[in-house]
Amino acid sequence: MRNALRELRRRPQRFLAVTAALVVLTVLLLFLGGLLDGLFIGATGAFRAQRASLFVYSSDANDSVIRSRIPAELRAQVESVPGVRAVGGLGVSLLGARVPGQQDLADTAVIGYERRPAGVPATPPAGSAWADRRLEAFGVKLGQTLRLGPRGIPLRVRGWVSDTNYLLQGALWVAPTTWREVQNASRPDAQFAPGAFQALVVDTADDPATVARRIDDSTGGSTNTLTKDAAILASPGTRQQKSTFNGIIGVTFAVVGLVVALFFALLTIERVPIYGVLKALGTTTRRLVAGMLLQAVIVASVAFITGGLLTYGLTRLLPARIPLLLVESRAITTFAGLVLTAAIGGALSLRRIARIDPVTAIGTGT
Amino acid sequence: MPALQLIDVSKRYRSGDEDIVAVDHAALTLGDDEVLALVGPSGSGKTTLISIAGGLMTPTSGRVIVGEQDITDYSARELTRFRSEHIGFVFQTVNLVPFLTARENLLVVGELVASGRGRRQQAGARADQLLEELGLGHRGTNLPSELSGGERQRVAIGRALMNEPELVLFDEPTSALDTHLGEQVMELIRSEVKGRGTAAVIVTHDHRVTRYCDRVVSITDGRLADD
Amino acid sequence: MFLALREIRRTKARFILLAGAVGLLVFLILFVQALTGALIRQFIGAVDHQSGQVLVYGADARKNLEGSRVPPTTVERVAAVPGVAAAGPLGEGTFSVRIGGAARDATLFGYELGKPGAPTTLVDGRLPRADFEGVASDGNSAKGFRIGAVIHLDGGAHTIRVVGIARDANFSVLPTVFTTFTTYTQARLDANPGSRVVFPSAVAATVDPGVSPETARDRINQSVPGVQALTRAQAVAESPGVASVSESIGAVVLLCFFVVIVVSGLFFLILTVQKAPALTLLRAIGVKAGALVRALVAQATIVVLGGLVIGTALAWLALDAAGNGLGARVEAGSVVETGVLVLVLSLLASLGAARRVLRIDPVRATVPGGLEA
Repeated sequence: MRNALRELRRRPQRFLAVTAALVVLTVLLLFLGGLLDGLFIGATGAFRAQRASLFVYSSDANDSVIRSRIPAELRAQVESVPGVRAVGGLGVSLLGARVPGQQDLADTAVIGYERRPAGVPATPPAGSAWADRRLEAFGVKLGQTLRLGPRGIPLRVRGWVSDTNYLLQGALWVAPTTWREVQNASRPDAQFAPGAFQALVVDTADDPATVARRIDDSTGGSTNTLTKDAAILASPGTRQQKSTFNGIIGVTFAVVGLVVALFFALLTIERVPIYGVLKALGTTTRRLVAGMLLQAVIVASVAFITGGLLTYGLTRLLPARIPLLLVESRAITTFAGLVLTAAIGGALSLRRIARIDPVTAIGTGT
Repeated sequence: MPALQLIDVSKRYRSGDEDIVAVDHAALTLGDDEVLALVGPSGSGKTTLISIAGGLMTPTSGRVIVGEQDITDYSARELTRFRSEHIGFVFQTVNLVPFLTARENLLVVGELVASGRGRRQQAGARADQLLEELGLGHRGTNLPSELSGGERQRVAIGRALMNEPELVLFDEPTSALDTHLGEQVMELIRSEVKGRGTAAVIVTHDHRVTRYCDRVVSITDGRLADD
Repeated sequence: MFLALREIRRTKARFILLAGAVGLLVFLILFVQALTGALIRQFIGAVDHQSGQVLVYGADARKNLEGSRVPPTTVERVAAVPGVAAAGPLGEGTFSVRIGGAARDATLFGYELGKPGAPTTLVDGRLPRADFEGVASDGNSAKGFRIGAVIHLDGGAHTIRVVGIARDANFSVLPTVFTTFTTYTQARLDANPGSRVVFPSAVAATVDPGVSPETARDRINQSVPGVQALTRAQAVAESPGVASVSESIGAVVLLCFFVVIVVSGLFFLILTVQKAPALTLLRAIGVKAGALVRALVAQATIVVLGGLVIGTALAWLALDAAGNGLGARVEAGSVVETGVLVLVLSLLASLGAARRVLRIDPVRATVPGGLEA
């Protein structure tokens, strides 16, 4: 094993090719993972932050909060269901906001809420909002007054919150009355009367799935109640994005395996004479393979660090439109996957190494 | 006790439709510090013979006894272990691992035999001692590319002696060296081998080498004959 | 060629590995391109395949038709702009409808008969001739959107009869029905009884002969306040969902191409270095350097073609197996384009190896050890 390390140290140029290839593949993997995480996190922040076990939509909404409508009477029914500890209204309007001093409109999600989500203070006074830091990229500053929607409803930025966005639009958390004002002014075809919301968030101490069924039964099927996780996954596009991206990431790992297999096969060919000598001297195949696997793992690790730094640098150059987010857990799983597939790829040379006949060390050339 | 006994050893291959007899009923006994020259033209079977003697290959028939052990029926794994503990090799072309220093090349064998820190330290000490004896005490940290042809050969010899083998096999040890260097290496081989009571088989077609050997055996078409 | 093929045959494993790696990368490229193409078609096919060459959105819409509203007076103002041949209102909305007994979501596009905004990819049936007739986007027959089907609008009072089918005309990944603007207005009123007035989402305009859509767009932006005019191509490419998807996928594809370059370039370089003794020998016995380079090019081409076949087959299978409701398909054009690019890039990458081949000095064959690796 030590000799395998010595070879790495003293003949690094041998491993340059496979390392270079793995660096580019690492960037690709982190990029893909970063896109997926960015899309997911940016789309679902508002939901993940909710301190509730259940989300209640109207049954004709197709689990989309924007399409849903819960009038006050329906809410009363939900509140009276046994097991329901607390209910809060939720309304989301996706609008453009005029930012002072900026040419382009900011993409915002104006969210009217009653129950405080994690990280968001209690409902602000009418006409003001807690703004998600995502909006800083659009030039929004503390204390500014934004103008929402086609009618330019004013909203003052009272403070910052983080990771509370919806569908990649920067969240503006407002009081329910403010939300209704904004919604009704901007969407004449989707008016909400006082007391009406798009969805309800429900807190319960009982088993959420059971309470969900109770709610839907008691409203005679007018509602469709989802657990928090289901509601997050039901966000438009989330499920398809996840499966598509994970499929692509899986294929990329397969490429890693093939590339490592390829370059280590070439390395093994170069080493056949010396492997023959070592085997003649009594080195077992197992030792040679173990040394090679160690090299594969080290090469993959070095490639990961280099690729990781490169990716981090690249993210600084990307336009804000590309929703890339580098997350720790993704880095860890990518590293683990890279090292594992590199080891598997390297192991494909096992047969060739096993087949090297020590006799070949003797009498070459004559 | 003889270092090597080949008792009626034959090796047959199938090549296409033909049966090739590489070694034909060879019989050979080598004393425990005897230096034997094995001469013969290409294709005579010398390589096959020393492969069998060195535990790199199993004969088709006959018996092979090295030191006290009959290795005829050893499995590949047992042969591997046997070679690491009882045989030394100096090859014709590729000998040294190019990215290991002279000392580390000796330790390749040392580490095969020794496990555990104490034994590894012993191996290190032995390597240093051998390098000293071979006149390479100051070259231990050099890579093979930094050594002369003669120095590389001496490192190979040192490595062959690391595991205190019963038998060392030399394949054309002087083929890449000029006359003067060749003589130096042969003198070294003889003194080292004799001094340690190790037997040696030297495959060569250079008749000047035979001067340094106790006995010369020739091989033609797989058959041995005393010269 | 003889040398190239012989070497591949005798040392298949490494070439297969390389073809495999290239194949998987080609698969990724084709797959994500097919998905992206399908997503875009599903999101905005209806806009791409309607007759308006210029679309005029509300200035606040951020290039998103769903969020766009324009006052009805905008239609006349746009029609009055020089270079605009005709202009008509375009209404877009998502509605809950009942069709074939089941409740579904559908998008309605309303346009004035005879004005811009009609679907351009009719493959069956005819365009609407009266109110409450519609052309449905294809691929939704399983959901009941067939010629002769009756779509019940929310509220139950009105229906739309499907009289035609248009290709690639979905919007927002939903079955889409092109109908008259009046029908669209009625659907809006049915869904929101409290509403009094229905604004068009946008204005669709065609241009006079000799005037480019870009020119007309710029003139509209200059003379009509409160709007943002886009050419049809822009409306598709710059639609918010589409733009970020295209850019992200574009970056992924770029990285894949980069991997192909690095892997195949380095592979052929290493191979050439390993073969140096054999190549020196060949040069010594009289084989021309050009012939050796040609052999290298031949090998690179064979590997890329192999990878292309593997990648295309995999992409086709994967899209088929995904049972994909998006209608994603591997386009022949995409395959050819990708293949050509991968081939050119691989050949460029193997320039390093070619240079090495050309540097071989046949004299070295006579030097002791010159033919050893």
